[in-house]
Amino acid sequence: MEPIIQVNGLKKLFGNEEALHDVTFTVGKGEVFGFLGPSGSGKTTTIKILTSQLAQTAGDATVFGVPVADLKQEQYRKRIGVLTDNSGLYTRLSIEENLSLYCDLYNEPKTRIDEVLNMVNLSGERKKRIDKLSRGMLQRVTLARSLLHEPELLFLDEPTSALDPVNSRHIYKGIERLKANGTTIFLTTHDMQEAEELCDRVAFLHQGSIQLLDAPNVLRRKYATGSMRVELNNGQTHEVTQTDEGADWLHKQMRAKNIASIHSNEPTLGDIFIEVTGRKLS
Amino acid sequence: MTFSMKRALAIFQKDYKDLSRNLFVSSTLIMPLFFAVFYSRIGDGGVDITYFVINITFSLVAIFVQCALIAEEKEKNTLRGLMLSPASTLDILLGKSALTFVTTMILIVASSFLMDYAPQNLAVIALALIVSTFFYIGIGTMFGLMTKTVMEASLIVMLPFFFFSFSPMLLPLQDRFAIIGVLEYLPNVLLIDVAHQVDDGANFGAVGLELGLLTAWALAAFVGSVVMYNRKQTD
Repeated sequence: MEPIIQVNGLKKLFGNEEALHDVTFTVGKGEVFGFLGPSGSGKTTTIKILTSQLAQTAGDATVFGVPVADLKQEQYRKRIGVLTDNSGLYTRLSIEENLSLYCDLYNEPKTRIDEVLNMVNLSGERKKRIDKLSRGMLQRVTLARSLLHEPELLFLDEPTSALDPVNSRHIYKGIERLKANGTTIFLTTHDMQEAEELCDRVAFLHQGSIQLLDAPNVLRRKYATGSMRVELNNGQTHEVTQTDEGADWLHKQMRAKNIASIHSNEPTLGDIFIEVTGRKLS
Repeated sequence: MTFSMKRALAIFQKDYKDLSRNLFVSSTLIMPLFFAVFYSRIGDGGVDITYFVINITFSLVAIFVQCALIAEEKEKNTLRGLMLSPASTLDILLGKSALTFVTTMILIVASSFLMDYAPQNLAVIALALIVSTFFYIGIGTMFGLMTKTVMEASLIVMLPFFFFSFSPMLLPLQDRFAIIGVLEYLPNVLLIDVAHQVDDGANFGAVGLELGLLTAWALAAFVGSVVMYNRKQTD
């Protein structure tokens, strides 16, 4: 897979405090890469470095094969979209006026406004002023703005933070559509469910270092105990392991038609994160 | 450094719509007209009073409005959005200055009209005023980039406001304090000097040195704002 982002030994110091330590990863073309970690783990710092908003202290980072310091040039800005947790919209202007400005800045036709508003399910709200929007709508407008120029690479920093499930679902659908179109997405989140649903690969970031990096299903298999939870018709639950005794017991219960349900004890990404880092994601 | 008229114009149009809905900043625009009416009622104060009002217009409009426009972009994180777009430094700085430039020019013309100011050589005065506007917009841009909020900008802008509005009043003390002579090279004092000379019949050639110094001040303010903007692109 053609690498779009390559990061090697990235380090960032704020004074004496180390925000990133020896961070190394590659994101391939068309991949949805999840950067997971609790608040303050270094996710936003990484995005800022990769979008040339912040200079690294040491290490190499390239996007499209170009050092991040050179991304300020127009030809690269056109290929990148950024959605930050801070909306950056003009509050006294309408949705349409905000998007119209960005159409001009990216040299896109105004017809794109309808297309992106349809994508985020806001086509009926274009005349609404930004300061009259709910948090969920605001986040969707920000996503629409970052999609106006159909970027090849999209940075999404906590795209569903503080959104209700319905609004989160709208954002997920938009991301899935982009993925289907081949957009490379770098997604930061502390929502493990979101990462499981959207990401091809995830990196666990803790205290500025990557602790684990792989596909969610590979991580789940790696950390699976192989046990399952069996609920019987009488309401009792049993933990069954993959042993001869376990198989015999399960067989016996099945023949007696005693089983109400069987659940695999496959760990979630959240479970794995806690096991690896010893702390919760919040 | 590239420049796109389309992008600069888009930023200008956005600023125009935004300012027209921003009561805090747009109400400031009435102040120079208020001063012009007030001083015209007092009587003919000559060039000094006319340029006292014009220098106040520069401070209140070119510096304060520009500073507030930039500071608000920083406060609401919209400047970052512009920086991450393909718009170049020149597109953004000129686009962000265009509204302030037009507004300052309109208010100076209106104030001059209210004060019955009719210069002997309109072309020289127009050039001096245009170059001065560029200088003050550059100062406003730098102060806006320095601050983080509109409130902070409103406070910090008092410094150049008092300095550029009232420093010519110190000139009579030049005989007692030689250091005050330095003020003669400030753009506000140079502008008054040009106005006096034009009143006495001077043309472009006669005020060439003063116009050159004003241009140097404007260029210095422009370069300063570009350097500061480029620094602010990276946290």
